[in-house]
Amino acid sequence: MPRFDQARPFLTLGLVLLVWLVLPTAVKRVTRLGFYELQSPVDIAASYARDLQDFWSQKTRSKNELIEAARDLARLNASYELRLQDDARLRTEIARLEELLRLPSYGDFRAEPARVVRRDFSVWWQRLVIRKGANHGLTVGAPAIYSGGLVGRVSEVHANTAVVELISSPGLRLAAVFDGDDRPVSFQGGVNAPLRPAEALLEYVPLDVFATAASPRRLVTSGLGGVYPPGLYVGEVFTLEASTDGLFKTGRAVLDPRLGRLTEVTVLVPLDPAP
Amino acid sequence: MAYAPRSSVPDRPGSMVESHRGYDPRLWLFYGLLALLLGVLAAGLSYQQLGRTDLHRERETVQSQRRVIVPGPRGNLFDREGRLLVGNRPRFAVTLNLDELRTEFRREYLRVRRNYRETGDKDLPNATQLERIARVSVVQGYLQTVNRILGVREKVNAEALERHYSQARILPFILLEDITAEAYSRLLEQLPVNSPLQVYTASTRSYPHGRLAAHTLGYTASDDYLAVNEGLPGAELTTFKMRGSVGRQGLEAALDARLQGQAGGAIYRVDPAGYRLQPALEKRRPVQGADIVTSLDLDLQRAAEIQMAENGLAGAAVALDIASGEVLVLASHPDYDLNDFTPRLSEKTASEINAQGAWLNRATQGLYPPGSTFKLVTALAGLRTGHMLPDSQVECTGSYQVGGRVFVCNNHRDRGIITLPQALEKSCNTFFYHYGLQTGIDAIAAEARLHGLDRPTGIDLPHEARHMLVPDPAWKETRRGDRWFPGDTANVSIGQGDLALTPLQMVCLVASLARGETITRPTLLHQNPPEQQIQPRDGIAPIARAAILAGMEAVTNTGTGRILQTPRFRVPGLRIAGKTGTAQKATTQGILNFAWFVGFVPVEKPQIAVAVIVEGDTPGEDVAGGRYAAPVAGAIFKAWADKSGLYPPVATTTAPPSLAP
Repeated sequence: MPRFDQARPFLTLGLVLLVWLVLPTAVKRVTRLGFYELQSPVDIAASYARDLQDFWSQKTRSKNELIEAARDLARLNASYELRLQDDARLRTEIARLEELLRLPSYGDFRAEPARVVRRDFSVWWQRLVIRKGANHGLTVGAPAIYSGGLVGRVSEVHANTAVVELISSPGLRLAAVFDGDDRPVSFQGGVNAPLRPAEALLEYVPLDVFATAASPRRLVTSGLGGVYPPGLYVGEVFTLEASTDGLFKTGRAVLDPRLGRLTEVTVLVPLDPAP
Repeated sequence: MAYAPRSSVPDRPGSMVESHRGYDPRLWLFYGLLALLLGVLAAGLSYQQLGRTDLHRERETVQSQRRVIVPGPRGNLFDREGRLLVGNRPRFAVTLNLDELRTEFRREYLRVRRNYRETGDKDLPNATQLERIARVSVVQGYLQTVNRILGVREKVNAEALERHYSQARILPFILLEDITAEAYSRLLEQLPVNSPLQVYTASTRSYPHGRLAAHTLGYTASDDYLAVNEGLPGAELTTFKMRGSVGRQGLEAALDARLQGQAGGAIYRVDPAGYRLQPALEKRRPVQGADIVTSLDLDLQRAAEIQMAENGLAGAAVALDIASGEVLVLASHPDYDLNDFTPRLSEKTASEINAQGAWLNRATQGLYPPGSTFKLVTALAGLRTGHMLPDSQVECTGSYQVGGRVFVCNNHRDRGIITLPQALEKSCNTFFYHYGLQTGIDAIAAEARLHGLDRPTGIDLPHEARHMLVPDPAWKETRRGDRWFPGDTANVSIGQGDLALTPLQMVCLVASLARGETITRPTLLHQNPPEQQIQPRDGIAPIARAAILAGMEAVTNTGTGRILQTPRFRVPGLRIAGKTGTAQKATTQGILNFAWFVGFVPVEKPQIAVAVIVEGDTPGEDVAGGRYAAPVAGAIFKAWADKSGLYPPVATTTAPPSLAP
């Protein structure tokens, strides 16, 4: 009997696993989704608590500091105002040129800012859970950006939360271009250990593209793939090596370390999603 | 009362007591036989397991492993300045890994069968047909994903799928080929990383300059017999090869062994149904073939081809670096766009090329009577034998009688005394009839042979013409059973008759003449520094050579090639030695003219030699060397002079604007 008592936990675990294995896929899916939905209030509450904590820590600042920050903010707003005007002018010009050259317009996006609830980093995936979901109009596949460029794309959407797969994740692949070049190259997140600078793999790089530590090349989204808008910063490339087949080069892109510390992202929800 | 225990054995004597009768001795025989058989089995098992281990392992390997061979990309071809002439470009395709779809095939099979049964269809397909239907259905489902992403409406080629499934299911099945960069980008972003649908990249030949030097560079064709590097393991395995390419013409064919890349490959374990099990047991990446720097000069080649296209007539142009024999220009017109050959030449394009007669590389394969350009050989022969002297002269009356036949000289109006330089300048036939006859056909033919005009040059291109002809009495006797007449000699003296030479031979002749040697070995491979030609000296006295060169220079200044002094072609300070020719050839259409120009620059220090032929296409049309061929040479000379930097353009002086009083 004592022997059986000792083995009971393992037996139970085995039974649970067996039951999970034989459960129909639909039940499993519902269970998994239910888990997310049940867990999300806890995550969201924790996220709000962190925000409150941040708010009270800010309240300890002196008036002078606040005044200085407000001035900075005003300056920043003014510069953004200017850039907005510039953007409007450029948009008109692009529309004119597209019309002239009979080019199709890129679909427009609606920006949906969302706080980061949780970071889920491992060797096999790198994801963020954000505090907005289907109730806010988020869709699977929508790109997520931040002030430094591209964050990734939404891979799962729940009622009030969504999962964003980061560009450092091996499961994410996109067509990028080198800044100033229009030939697409394949960008795929690498196998990145947590707490280390993230890297991504580059393939199909044309042979006449060069990048060295002394003169690195910026990598941006191509806009050709139909998922991400063009020109979003993706990473920096320091080395490129010719592959043995002589057709292309391969290399690694170093990603922005801020990706691992993000507290807020903006999801670009397509206004006219593809059918 | 005493208690007596009961016996546990019931007292029923005889019923439960076994009597031991001992073993029957005959059983020993059975045991022995059994032991022997077991021994045989054990021995057999041991023998199979221990003695034939290697054999079984090999059989197991052969049965359960497959080798996939991927061709290595071909090497690139560059011009002498390192500019890419032939390279590779990636060719993107969408592929589907069938070996990842086994479960889906099975599910679809069951679904299709159920549907048939539910609908009560009497024509229920058999199991094999159902499997095919299921496969097409599954693959079409994946193709629909691609269609949705790319906005196209492609359908699965069921026959191709079946062929691929039965013959090479280990290889990815190509759904869409040669997709654009935009389509490639869309698929890259929208297909999951671990999908059986993948974007596959292959290498295909790319010719950035299209038609330029088409005959020289050549083209490739698909090749099923991909050579496999001996070092690649798994030679004993069932091998699947992806299609490679092999050079079929031009340098692609001539240098195929060097350009061909080393095939790579992978060995996979497969299940009994032939589906691949990931990952590969062994993998080796293909290696690109060697890059080769050719001797061609892109600028000169382009200049020649533009001028030839302007002429609009068939022809060829060859230019050599005189010192090294390196070919700078090798052009043939009409030509074809090399990019039409990748990935494969369409029947329509092939018949168009055929109709234009563009397959022929006229520079190395075209055999033409050399016309008056051959007078250089006659002059050399006469000077060598002493029948002609540098100051020899003849009175040209416009005709010359040989035996009972009158040969005309319509090349110039200035009748009277003609010297050797003047004879070359005006291309006077009478002068060369006279001295050709004095020199004799044997000496003229010997001179031609001395300069290699009776044999191929040995250039590193395939299919160079081999039936060039320098006629002589022996040849005529053997070939036609006829004796040689003085009229034949007169004809040969001016490059007519049965003479048949290639433009490449003529340019070699001119390069040799410029160097004072007898032979030039042309090459299309560039060496840095170029290897100098060291050939036997021609033994022509300097004064005799000077007379020839004076005549050749006069050709381009005041003679038949004076078009080179027009503003379009003139390079101030550049002295050109040349000789024009207009040969006639009887064809089925009538007598056609072939315009020639051969020459070199600069006269004082020869650097490049050129030969140009232009074929007339209308009988009776005056296609003369000076008008049609010399401009092509002029374009090459001008391009060379521009590049050399030795002949800066003369500043045009403009009068200062007059000031108003």
